[in-house]
Amino acid sequence: MKKLPADNTPGSAKVGEGLLGRKVTRRDFVKTGSLLALGASSFPTILTACATGSSTTKSGPKTLKILQWSHFVPDYDKWFDPWVKQWGQDNNTTVSVDHITYSDIPTRTASEMNAKSGHDLILWIVPPSQYEQSTVDMSDVVKKVEQKYGPQLNFAKLTNFNPHTNRYFGFTYSFAPDPGDYRKSLFQQVGMPDGPTTWDEMLTAVTQIKSKTKGAVRGGIGFSPEPDSNMAARALIWSFGGAEQDKDSNVTINSDAVVGAVDYMARLFKQAETAEVFSWNAASNNQGLVAGSLSFILNSISAYRTAQASKPDVANDIFFSKPLAGASGVKALASEHVIQTYIIPKFSKNQDIAKEFLLYLVDHASDYVYQSKLYEFPVNPKTNAQDKLYGPGGWLDSDPYKSNPSSKLQVLKDATDWSVNVGYPGPASPAIGEIFDKNILPSMMAAAARGQKTPKQAVAEAEQQIKAIFTSWRQKGLVGGSS
Amino acid sequence: MSEPAVHRTVIIDESFRVHHLLDRESVLGPVMLSPLLIYLVALIGLPLVFVFIYAFSDATTGSDSFGFVGLQTFQTTLEDPVFRIALRNTVVFTVLAQLVVIVLATVLGFVLSADFRGKWFVRFLILLPWTTPVALSALAWLWMLDSLFSPFNWILGNLHVVDQGTPVAWLGQDSLAVGSVVALQAWRTLPLAAVILMAGLTSIPPELSEQAEVDGAGFWRRFFDITMPLLAPIMMVAILFGIVATFTDMAAVYILTRGGPGNATQVLGSWSFYTGIQGGSLAQGAAIGIFMFPVLLGVCILMLRRASQTEVV
Repeated sequence: MKKLPADNTPGSAKVGEGLLGRKVTRRDFVKTGSLLALGASSFPTILTACATGSSTTKSGPKTLKILQWSHFVPDYDKWFDPWVKQWGQDNNTTVSVDHITYSDIPTRTASEMNAKSGHDLILWIVPPSQYEQSTVDMSDVVKKVEQKYGPQLNFAKLTNFNPHTNRYFGFTYSFAPDPGDYRKSLFQQVGMPDGPTTWDEMLTAVTQIKSKTKGAVRGGIGFSPEPDSNMAARALIWSFGGAEQDKDSNVTINSDAVVGAVDYMARLFKQAETAEVFSWNAASNNQGLVAGSLSFILNSISAYRTAQASKPDVANDIFFSKPLAGASGVKALASEHVIQTYIIPKFSKNQDIAKEFLLYLVDHASDYVYQSKLYEFPVNPKTNAQDKLYGPGGWLDSDPYKSNPSSKLQVLKDATDWSVNVGYPGPASPAIGEIFDKNILPSMMAAAARGQKTPKQAVAEAEQQIKAIFTSWRQKGLVGGSS
Repeated sequence: MSEPAVHRTVIIDESFRVHHLLDRESVLGPVMLSPLLIYLVALIGLPLVFVFIYAFSDATTGSDSFGFVGLQTFQTTLEDPVFRIALRNTVVFTVLAQLVVIVLATVLGFVLSADFRGKWFVRFLILLPWTTPVALSALAWLWMLDSLFSPFNWILGNLHVVDQGTPVAWLGQDSLAVGSVVALQAWRTLPLAAVILMAGLTSIPPELSEQAEVDGAGFWRRFFDITMPLLAPIMMVAILFGIVATFTDMAAVYILTRGGPGNATQVLGSWSFYTGIQGGSLAQGAAIGIFMFPVLLGVCILMLRRASQTEVV
């Protein structure tokens, strides 16, 4: 209990008096308001600090926080999480793994980078080039891995290395090939039991199949703002001899080859597809293939693995083709479907242990290849997965996951020869990333397919957008080239 | 006789002191307002300031470097053909959705203010969409409009309106995709407008309508000459809320169409997100977002001024 003067009674505050009975001047108001604003602005930071805290203590175990996507092959996550935690126990490190959907990775990364707090390792499945200035240089990790397992494949190097700044901003360790997936029984009916080998063959076949089935089974190349449509658009453009940029990062989108590719896509839509292809998400073509409404899609083997579990008869009818050839004399290419690249943010207090884990991961290449059900392939040529995967009688010759026939995946044995990076023949860069994320190429294809623009007009508009993006990132010194 | 002077000491405990403070309007007011003030400053005021700062800079999501570039980002934004589509769509979607909302909300307002059995349950059902987070409701709509699994297609197929094997691409055709986005925006903002209009309708003295009826005025005459003028200020409030909710929303488009087909349903919110967050060009994304500000500010001022000018009887 406290003693108060007798005259300090309730209701003694005069009109016009402010907080705590004191006159509030404009100066006071500004001061109070500023303090409130400061307090409010500090609040999220304080919350974040409380939530994350310091991740390493002097006496306790080290910590490692990993953020990665929920794998398209769900069993992979079931293996990975306890596996990495066991590694942590063996190395006096407490490991936590957070899985989120792949499409949330960019947003989450942006928020963590700006808050300067969060995970020590973040896994991207597309090139994370725009974060180059906020990530730890991975040259040492790449060098150690290359000494043991051979040089990174070129498309992997172009994914995690910026030749303009001469810096490894991430560490790429695996990729998923992106072959054609077709329904053999349907292609048999149109005289192509072994599937198409060219884009023209594919167009002919899916058109006939659509006609024979009265529209119930259609072509499955997407035109939507989603990753698979982005990959398909690029594969087609490369096979027609075009590209977004040249090897020196000059914009080359406005070419006859690209116009030809856009014209092809418009014909494909009109002859063999329906407007559903404009509304797809990344899972739609998988679902359509498994449901029996699509005859041909470009995708990794994840759709097939899903079918093996849910519809074995459909899975038995799904076969794979190599990249389709376009223009004569041009090598048929496919985009990597996903390319797994870890980044370590500069704010991480556990950079060393994060790098140790990456080395351990590559040491166990055969484990992640097997546990991903052959979805992931290493990007270094001499890992312990090499012989098991590619060797005579290896996993691709005889699928351990019970393909029928077991040699069904043999078509992927030379996937490293026909897979290239987003941005090929140049490097992935922030500009290429922004073009990908803004879905400029699928939208270009869609504009022509929907008849809103001629192929030439669609390409010209895309060029305008792409050049503006390149100019913007060149000004920041992150992209080479001049035109 | 005078009593001897006594020195008295008032002894009160802490709880009394707190009560004493809270009894003062000058203390209680700020205390009650401070959570709202902190919320507004931290989650709306400061981000808004940052958006303006970023829009005149070369900021990216992946770097701390920060340089002022004047109006360059705005120039690039205005030259972007997709931005112009997004700006147009944002306005069109908002107008269309609010037209639908005003018509349906007025009808619902009459229904809800009427007396019938099960009125409270109907009110509960109508309010449900408003209480559901937009992301959740958009996901539900996404599945209902999916090209492969749409229940609408299943029903239409079984009624032989469309072929079972060739479903309607609800989100793949321009007009249907636009209609779907507008329908979702109207569906989610309708309940609040209906409740606001219901409150407005119940506040209109029934004698006015009764007198007009005695004088021979029919339903439509009474509706347009008595009810609507009296309802107008309240309707303005409903429209204001609806415009703000629709104009600034990106979740409906991002989840339902991701801006497609092509860029036919792209809006300022989604294009700002694709550019600033997904694409990494934070400054550019901020510049796109800023184009919402003058429109919203103008609409707010216009609506509030109009509402204050209209006198309710």
